[in-house]
Amino acid sequence: MKFQHLLFYLIIIISASSCIGDDIVFDTIDPEVRIMNPVDTIGLGETYQFKFDYFNNVGQQVSDQAGVWTSSNPDIISIDANGLATAIQVGNSEIQVETEADGFTITDTYIVAVGENTVVTVQERSGSIRTTSSYALEGDFTLSESESGIELSFENNYNASTALPGLYVYLTNNPNTTSGALEIGRVETFSGIHTYQIENAGVNDYSHVLYFCKPFNVKVGDGQIQ
Amino acid sequence: MQNERLKYIFLFFIQIIFISNIVAGPWPVPKGKAYYKLSEWWLVFDQHYTDAGQIDPNVTTGIYTTAFYGEYGLTDRLTAIAYAPLLVRNTMNNLVSNTTSEVLVEGDAINTVGDIDLGIKYGLTKVGASVPISATLMLGIPTGETSGGRQGNLQTGDGEFNQLVQVDIGTGFSIGKTSAYASAYTGFNNRTNDFSDEFRYGIEGGVNLLNKKLWLIGRLFGVESFKNGATAESVTSTSIFANNSEFTSYSLEAAVYITDKVGVSANIASAFRGEIIAASPSYSVGVFWDLKK
Repeated sequence: MKFQHLLFYLIIIISASSCIGDDIVFDTIDPEVRIMNPVDTIGLGETYQFKFDYFNNVGQQVSDQAGVWTSSNPDIISIDANGLATAIQVGNSEIQVETEADGFTITDTYIVAVGENTVVTVQERSGSIRTTSSYALEGDFTLSESESGIELSFENNYNASTALPGLYVYLTNNPNTTSGALEIGRVETFSGIHTYQIENAGVNDYSHVLYFCKPFNVKVGDGQIQ
Repeated sequence: MQNERLKYIFLFFIQIIFISNIVAGPWPVPKGKAYYKLSEWWLVFDQHYTDAGQIDPNVTTGIYTTAFYGEYGLTDRLTAIAYAPLLVRNTMNNLVSNTTSEVLVEGDAINTVGDIDLGIKYGLTKVGASVPISATLMLGIPTGETSGGRQGNLQTGDGEFNQLVQVDIGTGFSIGKTSAYASAYTGFNNRTNDFSDEFRYGIEGGVNLLNKKLWLIGRLFGVESFKNGATAESVTSTSIFANNSEFTSYSLEAAVYITDKVGVSANIASAFRGEIIAASPSYSVGVFWDLKK
């Protein structure tokens, strides 16, 4: 056999083994039910329509999930099967939504008051990002409502590695993958205070801030939105 | 273009191919003589060295290079050198959900020519010197693809023109009845387009066994970045490239002469310390034509 032929066959073998394979992503998370429009106070005699979303074991929103609404003090706030609450008398009550997921019962609760007027406070959530890799990533953040959607603001203690190619920030309901996540954009500020404006999104739409090296699909870090 | 200024993690590792191919010592090829090699080199890695020198995972990435390497003696002291990656295949795996078995991120691949290197080696000492010294100038021609694939994150070239100046020194000797050699080099790689310049170094030793049919060669080599180029912070575009990569690596090679002039070789190389480079071994096999005799 000539050497050229030997090399040819070798290259064929190597090329055949150079197909695109599969990498497994361990993306299972705990399912979650979330009250999407909490309210602090319902005006006496008024009604308020609560809504919830259910996120399955990969963080995907499931629209037709059944939920059961209850009030801990139905004499103060009553609530029907569709989540319509009625303020009956002054006081506080814990509103709960409950659903079944893979044989388990999961709930979300919110304490609501009855007062003179309905008060929907400006929603604000916060948290801290942390590295889940060997690349530097830390800092505190706040997620709040804005005129056109929400804004994600980082505080002065924010720091991210500049060594990574293509570091991107996302909002997600599954911190293990960018699949289904909202891509905010490429990271251009690597330390200190800065803010991202995000249109057409709500404060309660996502559970985590996520940092990924996009070119290599490598998770760099995350932060739970409390 | 701004996004061509910096280099991917994995592409940097391609330098190891070239380094381990061209470290041929300080001996110029005699006038009219030549050495050619056709090789297949591949690297598949699912982890890399971070900027802190730690090992982190990444999507499984493959680079497969079919390359031609040649040396030709223009004079007894001046040798022309060419390294041409004729076909470079760059792949990235699918990302598949463990929970649903759905493809979360589809894999991708490109096949193009890579970056070509051309250069000359000049013998600073007289032919036949017991401790020859040579100087080499290599020019890196950006002929490869800098942003291929659906997401533009596959690459077979860095998009920058670099100039490597290198000095080699070596000597041949005997261990009993066995021929051997040792050499060392140091070099400076000037890189353009905001890439960091590099200091390169290496040592090499080889022994000739089986009645001069088999060469066993060991190499230790590295690249230290001057870290004077751009980073993700200083590039304001949507660049997704990394810079300031460095490593220390070893390689082992066996070259067997099948005839007086033709042989086959196999090589393994791996970094045992690095920053922003792949953390898996690379392999190559090839056929060479040694027409220096």
